[in-house]
Amino acid sequence: MTTTIQENGNQLIALFNGRLDTAAAIPTAEAVKPLLDAANCEIVLDCSQLEYISSSGLRIFLSIRKEAAAHGSKVIVRNINADIRQVFMMTGFISLFEIQ
Amino acid sequence: MKQKDSDKPTRLKSGFWIILVAAAVLELTACIQYFCSRAAIQQEAIDRAQTELRLAELEINVHTVAIEEAAQMLAMMAERNLSNPQAMYASTRVLLQTLDNIESAGIAFIPNYYPQYGRWFEVCSSRTDKEGEEAIYTRQIGGPNHDYLNTEWFGNGLTIDSCWWCEPYLDDAGAKTMVVSCTYPVKNPKGEVVAVVCIDLSLDRLSHISNYLQVYQDSYYAIKSSTGLSIVDDPDTIPGRKYLTFDEEIDATGWHISIIIPEDILYADLRKMGLIVTILMLLGLALLVFIVYRAGKDIKVLMTLNSQKERMLGELEIARNIQMAMLPKTFPPYQNRPDLSMYGIILPAKEVGGDLYDFFERDSKLFFCVGDVSGKGVPASLVMATTRSLFRSFSAHEHDIAALTGEINDSISETNDMNMFVTLFIGELDLKTGELHYCNAGHNAPVLIERSNGTVVEMLPTIPNLPIGILSGYSYTPQTATIQRGDTLFLYTDGLTEAENANHEQYGEEKMLEAIRAFETAQTDLKDPTAAKREIEALLDDVQAFVGDAEQSDDLTMLVVKWLPVEGEQTETKQPLRHSIVMRNDIQQIPTLAEWVESLHIPEALNMTMNLALEETVTNVMLYAYPNEKGKVLIEAEKTDEQITFVITDSGVPFDPTAKPDADTSLSAEERPIGGLGIHLVRQIMDKISYRREEGKNILTLIKKL
Repeated sequence: MTTTIQENGNQLIALFNGRLDTAAAIPTAEAVKPLLDAANCEIVLDCSQLEYISSSGLRIFLSIRKEAAAHGSKVIVRNINADIRQVFMMTGFISLFEIQ
Repeated sequence: MKQKDSDKPTRLKSGFWIILVAAAVLELTACIQYFCSRAAIQQEAIDRAQTELRLAELEINVHTVAIEEAAQMLAMMAERNLSNPQAMYASTRVLLQTLDNIESAGIAFIPNYYPQYGRWFEVCSSRTDKEGEEAIYTRQIGGPNHDYLNTEWFGNGLTIDSCWWCEPYLDDAGAKTMVVSCTYPVKNPKGEVVAVVCIDLSLDRLSHISNYLQVYQDSYYAIKSSTGLSIVDDPDTIPGRKYLTFDEEIDATGWHISIIIPEDILYADLRKMGLIVTILMLLGLALLVFIVYRAGKDIKVLMTLNSQKERMLGELEIARNIQMAMLPKTFPPYQNRPDLSMYGIILPAKEVGGDLYDFFERDSKLFFCVGDVSGKGVPASLVMATTRSLFRSFSAHEHDIAALTGEINDSISETNDMNMFVTLFIGELDLKTGELHYCNAGHNAPVLIERSNGTVVEMLPTIPNLPIGILSGYSYTPQTATIQRGDTLFLYTDGLTEAENANHEQYGEEKMLEAIRAFETAQTDLKDPTAAKREIEALLDDVQAFVGDAEQSDDLTMLVVKWLPVEGEQTETKQPLRHSIVMRNDIQQIPTLAEWVESLHIPEALNMTMNLALEETVTNVMLYAYPNEKGKVLIEAEKTDEQITFVITDSGVPFDPTAKPDADTSLSAEERPIGGLGIHLVRQIMDKISYRREEGKNILTLIKKL
């Protein structure tokens, strides 16, 4: 599981690659720390390479969402596959994020 | 190592014979060529000489005929003027003036024919080197000093009634050189010979004429009279030198012209050619000797390599025998163990192989393993032997199958300089209960054939883990399954599934399962002790029919374990829960959990959600049941046609996940609490969740209907 963050003007794009399970959640939480401090920008969570997510991963997404709201930033979740979508549906996350 | 001494003389002899034959052939060819050339040259010489001779003869004839006519003409003039001796002077003079090629002409009378002149009267004209009138010197030369009456030519001229060429002589009076004369009689009206006309031909002139008789350098010619006197002289022949001589006779004068050619001049070029050819031949032979010598050396090297190779093959053969001897020889059923039937084979690709299997029975437990060392041949076979001895020695005291695998791994990894690794499957079958504990280290999942409900042929759910020898200290995850009597475990190495035919197609898993299925469905007597062996034979036939003539690319191994039903034997089996896994209290085991769920082969649409539900459950157990300590979590799975059941058991502090309230998904992002998602997901995914606490264990049961 790897996480990379790119800057694109006012956008911060986080690329998730692999399975975001409980074990992978620990390093991923470290990797997304820059996003938690970002103010007044657009945070894109690119899930096109994300195969799987469990509750630990969902927690990370939620914390990004909360921090963004506090700093005036916007969060977009992009390209989730069918499995991820199902999990988002089950947990109600589908309405917590802007899904592209 | 003893060199074969008989090699050297054989080599020398055959090389010697080659050179001898080659030399003989070359020499024979050269000789034939020499003699043919020689004959050709000789024939050429003969032809040339004969042509030249004929030309010379013609040339000489031209002159001699002219002189004969002149002689006759002079005789005729003399006969007309017999009464006038003064006229003789004029006649000879006229003749000389008219005919350039005559040196001197004379008319010699018989004694006292003209009384006024006395006994001798010979009129002669000859050429001088002066000019004009004095170019021809006419005089009477007969006298006591020049007694022509006694000369041969005069004598002949008197008696012979035609032109006669006399033998050469020195004409001291007339031409003062060696001459040869043509005589002709002069007759009086009565027909009596009264005088002899004599016309001289200087021999110098002849030698002048015959210039072109020198056909070869150093060749010469000779003209001899009929009595052998020299007309044109031949230089002295050198004694010992060989000559070719060609003769031609001139009819008119009876002379013999010869061309004499020294043989060494004639064959000079041939000799030179012969010398060159001989030198070339010797060079060629020298080259041949060199080649034969070098070839001999190469042959010697080849023979050494050959004998080394044979020795190595011999030793490999012995190594193979040792290796085969290490395998268990006798297969169950044993006398005291009639409910176990096994058979196994290894077909190495080379003389020695890297596959292994081993088994032994102890305290009603069967320990068995199947393995595959990376690579083939001698290096693989050495690692194979090591692995096998480790299996035997460690399993004597180690009962935990995961620990056993770990110990073997640590041992091999420590001494692994060559980076070889071993895929290994170790199993321990409780022959009383049918409980199978197993641990896989990167090997192919075995096939489990269940006979209690028809014939079900499936791969045993197996977590891959890492192969042995890669990472020292790696923690292996064991698994458990339960089998019934009549069931079969079929273990193999990838030499079976990856066996290639001539088109580089692989035998494959499907064909293997098909063949097993075919055998098992036909095998109705579950107590048959010969079935294990026949099952392996059937598979072997099937794969060999597929592979055909193609060369075997990898070691092929098969091991069959059959737990036979026996009369009256009571099995102490629990209610079967087919598959299980034991996990440690370690978040890093979560990926292993995913692999295990994958290996259960549940319907694909449910794979992710089952995985997720289990992950959430297990994570909660680790967090809450074992907050501070190490512990183990047992996960069991059972699948029927209607549902899948998971039972998660741990021995931690009491923890009931069902007691937690469900998450409120209607809350906004700001309002949502961070926790509570896990249980929520489990509730969403599974159809039934139940918890109980029993004997100090938390037991959570999850059911999903299919």
